[in-house]
This record gives sequence, structure tokens and C-alpha cells, in this order.
Amino acid sequence: MSAHAETQHAAHPPVAHQSSRVDARTLGMFLFIASEVMLFGSFFTAYFFIRVVNHQPWPPHPFHLPVFVAFVNTAILVTSSFTMHWSLQSIKRGNRVGLQAGLTLTLLMGLTFLLTQLLEYARIGFTPHDQAFGTIFFSLTGLHGAHVLVGLTILAAMTTRAYRGHFSPEAHNGVEIGGIYWHFVDVMWIIVFTTVYVL
Amino acid sequence: MTTATTAHDELHAGAAPPPHGWRRLLAPGWLRVPWMSALFFGIGLGITLLVRWAEGWHPIWDGQVITTIELVAVPFGFLAGIGGFDYWTRYAIGSPTQPEDHSGHGAYSWRDYFRINTDHKVIGVQYVVTTIFFFVAAGLLAMIMRAELARPGMQFVGNQVFNELFSVHAALMIFLFIIPAFAGLGNYVIPLMIGAPDMAFPRLNALSFWLLPVAGLLMLSSFFVPGFGCGWTGYAPLCSTHQELGAVFFNMGVQWAGASSIMTALNFLVTIITMRAPGMTFWRLPLLVWANFTTSLLVVIATPFIAGSQFMTMFDHIMHTNFFNYEAHGYVLGYQHIFWFYSHPAVYIMMLPGFGIASEVISTFARKPIFGYRLMALSLMAILVLGFSVWAHHMFVSGMAPWLRVPMMVTSVVIAVPTGIKVFSWLATLWEGKLNFSTPMLFALGFVSMFVIGGLSGIYLAAVPIDIHVSDTYFVVAHIHYVLFGGSLFTIFAGIYYWFPKMTGRMYDERLGKLHFWLTFIGFNATFFPMHYLGIQGMPRRVSDYAPRFADLNFFISIASFFLGASTLVFLYNMIVSWARGAPAPANPWRAHTLEWQVSSPPPVFNFDEIPQVVGGPYEYGVPGARHAVFNGDRVIEEEEVNV
Repeated sequence: MSAHAETQHAAHPPVAHQSSRVDARTLGMFLFIASEVMLFGSFFTAYFFIRVVNHQPWPPHPFHLPVFVAFVNTAILVTSSFTMHWSLQSIKRGNRVGLQAGLTLTLLMGLTFLLTQLLEYARIGFTPHDQAFGTIFFSLTGLHGAHVLVGLTILAAMTTRAYRGHFSPEAHNGVEIGGIYWHFVDVMWIIVFTTVYVL
Repeated sequence: MTTATTAHDELHAGAAPPPHGWRRLLAPGWLRVPWMSALFFGIGLGITLLVRWAEGWHPIWDGQVITTIELVAVPFGFLAGIGGFDYWTRYAIGSPTQPEDHSGHGAYSWRDYFRINTDHKVIGVQYVVTTIFFFVAAGLLAMIMRAELARPGMQFVGNQVFNELFSVHAALMIFLFIIPAFAGLGNYVIPLMIGAPDMAFPRLNALSFWLLPVAGLLMLSSFFVPGFGCGWTGYAPLCSTHQELGAVFFNMGVQWAGASSIMTALNFLVTIITMRAPGMTFWRLPLLVWANFTTSLLVVIATPFIAGSQFMTMFDHIMHTNFFNYEAHGYVLGYQHIFWFYSHPAVYIMMLPGFGIASEVISTFARKPIFGYRLMALSLMAILVLGFSVWAHHMFVSGMAPWLRVPMMVTSVVIAVPTGIKVFSWLATLWEGKLNFSTPMLFALGFVSMFVIGGLSGIYLAAVPIDIHVSDTYFVVAHIHYVLFGGSLFTIFAGIYYWFPKMTGRMYDERLGKLHFWLTFIGFNATFFPMHYLGIQGMPRRVSDYAPRFADLNFFISIASFFLGASTLVFLYNMIVSWARGAPAPANPWRAHTLEWQVSSPPPVFNFDEIPQVVGGPYEYGVPGARHAVFNGDRVIEEEEVNV
């Protein structure tokens, strides 16, 4: 390519004009979540076809869903959303210990949720091959589990940075945006739990 | 070249010195790619074997499962090696992140196009060149198909290879050419058009480009594992139970290309919303920006559905789950519903940016303001909304619920209204204009006329009885090529010729450009128009042999298609020679008003030395005293600003 780059041009970019009150990274996270919701939507469509259109009994005869264990697990994940919120409020007020404690608790509860789910998989008594029911059960909860794993990775990064003293009342974007993702994972689980276990 | 080097050195002042010796293996780049890919291959293999051993699954060594896992792991290794994740990894482990030194910006030699580059202009060129590579590859596959179809009976390839040819041809053209070519052109011009120094997320932008070659190579290499031959639509259960490993290569290729397209769309949306120059309101945006805004919304909302559908087929194929398995109470038609819920909006993803390019080119070369600017923008939005309500018109003969047919037919016909608004607006813009028939304009006019033909056959196909008659015949092949070749490809050519001076700083050869247009236009019509007739007569598509009564017309089509293929050589020759030795381009060869033409060709590394002030609409051609933007020095204060 013929580079006509001329030296009189600035070596640093001009500051972009901020044409919206929305923060770019927050907006990006919300758009990402919108596409994640649609990914779940495609699997819920498959759920709809198999359970509603095909009139599959739910769960079909020999199988049982461990509703109580899942309920306790739900409670753990919902609580972790509150600790997440607490950690964000703490750093907004300059309380670094609150931030660290909140993130650590959230991380631990998320791990507990994921491990409980893995144990549940091991003892549930059916596999993804067992009829379309098993397929839908494992794909919806498994897709959500994958999102918990991503959320935990983000949380781990946030926690590491929190312990290294990287956030402050003025600069806590990382906590806020990671937190939005975690709340999304939480809300999505409530929907999955309701449709797969309760209804 | 010496001045460029100086600028380069200035940029790197203060940056760390480049690594030496074995440390170069650790720096992001092609030296790190091989061992990182091998490392990720090992990790993927290790985890798979460990899990299978721990769970007692037999056999522990399952080639299909391992290949599938590696199609995820190795691309990640490649991307990590080339440096796609360096910044985020550093952030995640809590290391201090380096303040942006802009060393990843700009291209000073051809090598800078082969590394992670955060400059939207470099990424735009990377996109366009990569997609043209895949365009040529997919075109050659079509040439082999036409050679086979020149005479009845079997000559060159077998049935299975023929199936693979048309499947990969379509998959490459759609996922690796049309969608990313528009993304590439948009990448280059959108930040310039809205007066921004770069995209909102430059590192994400770089990463989303490097996913493309990965996706393309996966699809091309499906020929070398036992192939992918169930059509680009990948219908289950055909593609989930009766196929070889090549189908998984398609599944994963779609995932990588889809991830790339979602990330780019997200980037476009955030850039357009948050980084417009002062005074650039939504009603002053060039229509190309409007078109990409709408397209990006479609991509973000719809693309996850094809990701979902490909995951499901892949799980059915590899893990023997029962999404679409009738015997285990799966819902067979579910695949088509989920797939078309993406893939019908996808035809608008493949068309709306082309509408934007056509609007830019037609207004500039007719020297007239766009007719009905606001309605042009609103009709894009109408297409966006309606596009989600028509998917089942692809399934009239699939055995779906009969009551769905008529509503889908009605919405499909209704969507012709906003599209018609756009066509009439272009015609009204041309009306009494001072037309300049340069190559971009020829392609834009070719687009309008050919797209109308494609749109009309689309209305035929939307009607249930006609659709039932011509389903799976060459009528459908003719329709899709009039829309995607006559529509999308013509606008891509128009866009490439239009912005070629801006991108390369050199003019293309106008005579060769015009020659290319006429060869393409004639070859295209000679190839695809007779297919309407073949289809109505009942020649089925996707079959390597046909009845002898279709022989003469097919022979004619094959000859015409070779002629069409050869016309691409003119294009390639023109592009390569002009890029190397063309006459230097002025900043604004087309006397256009939009912002990308108000800076030098090619633009400076950071686009603008100072962000311009936008004071009027983008297409005020022929309006005395009208200006789109003013730069520092002749900045005027707007009325709105005074009032506030």
C-alpha cells in the first residue's frame, strides 16, 4: 500500500465527541446480553416445541427432577446477586473491604452453585440421550452453567483486581459492568428454573 | 516512504523496545501462533481424554468428539498466539494495563496487515481483501459445478462431491463473503462518516476480524475430512444423523463467523450511538450509517439463533442427543423454524448495507439530495421489524402447521412495501439528476434494476401456490442469485470502486472498471435469467444430473457462467495494478459531502486532527450554501447551541 501518512498530522487521536449519555462499555454489555438472551431464546424455542407442541410429559415416566436441591441452589445464586450489589455499593462509597468481601462471597456462592449442579448431573438418573426431555434438560441447564462459568471467570478477574487495589469510588466501571453480567446470569437462571423444574 | 517512517518512530517513542532472541516467541505474532495452537490442541485433547476416562465412557479415544473439541481449542490457540487476548489477559490477572500507546494503529508496510491491528481503516482493508479471497474460492467451486452441469449425465465429479460443492459454495459466499464484506466496508467508512477517530472497541474489532480466516478455513477444509454435503441450510435430521465429520466443520465455521459478526455489529452500534461528531444528529447520519445501524441490530438479535441451531445439530450428531430425533420425541421441524428465524433476517443483513451503499453512490453521482431521506431511514427500520415475521415462507412445503402459511404469505408480501419505498426513492433521486456514469454509479444502477427483478420473483415465491410449484427448483436458484448477486454483490462492487481511492490513495482504472461492469452485467443475466424458465419447467436444484430436455439451456448457462467467472479477472487485475501503480487520488474525487471525503486519501492515522462540527444534512448537493460539516477554523455556531 502506498502510505501517504504525512508527518504534520497528530501522533495522538483527537478526543472523540461523546454523543450519548450512556457509557460505551455499559452499552456494549447490554447489547451483548441482548444477544445472549436470544441464544437462550433459541433453546427455549426447542423446549417449547418438545414440551408444548409435541405434548411430552414433563418429566416423562421413570424420571424425577430434584426440585428441592435446585430450589436451594436458586436461593444461593439469588443471594450472590445481592452480595454483588453490595460490593458495587461499597466501592462507590470508598469501602474497599466491602468490595473485596462482596466479590469473594459472590465468587464462592457462584462456585457452590456450579458444583451443586455438577453433582446433580451425576446423580440425576438420566442422560442427554434419554428422550428429547433429557436433551432439553441438559442443554438448558448446561447452557446456563456455561454462562455461570463465564461469569465466574469475570468475577475472578474482578476479585483479583479488587485485592490489588485497582478500583476506586471514581473508577469502578469494571465492577459495574461485570456485575451487570452476573445479574443477567442470575435472572436467566430464575427463568430456566421456573420453566424446567417448576412448571 | 521516509516521512511515513518518521511518523512511525514518533508513535513508538516511549514504547518498549521490540524483543530479541527467544523472547520473540513470547511476543504476540506469527512466531507465537504455532506453539500456542499446539499448546491449546494439547489442552483440548488432555481434557477430553481425562473426562472420558473419569466418566468411564467407551471408547476413550473417539475421533469425532476429539475433532469437535479441537475445532474450538485450536482456533482459540491461534487467536491467543496472534495476540487477540493479550490486553484482556493482562487485565484479568490484575497486571497493570499499559496505557494505549497506539502502536497497534496504522499500517506502514504490508506486514502491518498481517498482525493484530487496532486501526479500523487497516481492519477494513483486511476484511475486504480476505472476503475477496473467499469470494474467488467460492466462485471457483461454482465453476466446477457448472462444468458438471454443462451436459446431462455424470462427467467430472460424483454425487457426494457435487453436494459438497454447492454446500460450501453457498456457505462461503454468505458467511465469508457477503456479510463480512459489508462489515469490512462499514468498518472502514463508518467512523470516518460520523466523525470519530476510531471504533468504540478497537481491540474487539481486531479480534472479530481474525475470527474470519478461522471460519473460512474450517469450511474449506470440510472437503478434506469426509465432506459436508447437506446444503448450506444444514437441515436436520439430514445434517445431524446421516452426515460425515464435514458437517461439524460447517457447524463450527458458522459459530466462528457468527461470533465475528455479532462482535462487529455490537461495535458498530456502540460507535454510532456514542461517538458521533457534535451536530451529527440521527437525522443527519449518512444512509450508509443508518443501514449499518439497522443491520447491526438485526445481527445482534438474530445471529444467536443460528448459533443455537448449529449447536443443536452438532450435539445431535456428535453426542447423539434428541433435539430433532423423531423416535425420541424430538421435534424434527424445530430446526427449520430456529434456522430460518435467523436466516430470513440474514437476507436483510446481506442486503441493507447494500441499500446504504446504493444511496451514497446514487445521490453523489446524480448530484441531487436523496429523495425522502427520513422515509429511507424509516423504511430500513420497517424492514428490520417485518424481517422477523416472515421466516416460515421458506417452509411452505415442509409440512409445518397449515395455519401458519397465510399469515407468513401476507407479511412476506407486506415487506415489499418498505423495499419498494427505497427503490422509488432511488428512482426519484435519479430523476432530472446530472448523472455521471462512473463505475460505482454503473454498479449502483445495475443493482437497482437487477434487485427489482429479484424482488419481483420474491413476491411470486411469497405466494403459497407458486411457491409450492417451484419449491426446490432452479426458479429459487435464479431468485436468490438475482437478490444476492444482482443485489448484494453489485453494491459491494459499487462500494469497493467508490471507496477505492479513499482506501488506497490511488485511483482505479476507469476503463477497466466499466469493462468489468458490462462483462459482469451481461454474464450475470445470461447465467441466471434462463434459470427462471428451467425452474418453472421443473428442473430440481441441488442435483448433479438432469433430464436431457434441459440440456441445451444448461449448456448455454454453463458457457455464460464461465464468461461471468472470467469477468472477475478484470476486477482483480484492476484492483491489484491500480493499488500498486494507480494515479494518486485526490481527497475528494467524487465531490461528495460526507465526512470521509473531507480528509486526505488515505486518511491520516487518527482520521481527523480535530473532530469536525456537523452543520447540515449529508446529501445537500446542488443546494446553494449548504454544508455538511465545518472544520476547525471555519467553525460556525449552530442555532441550537445558541438557544441552549
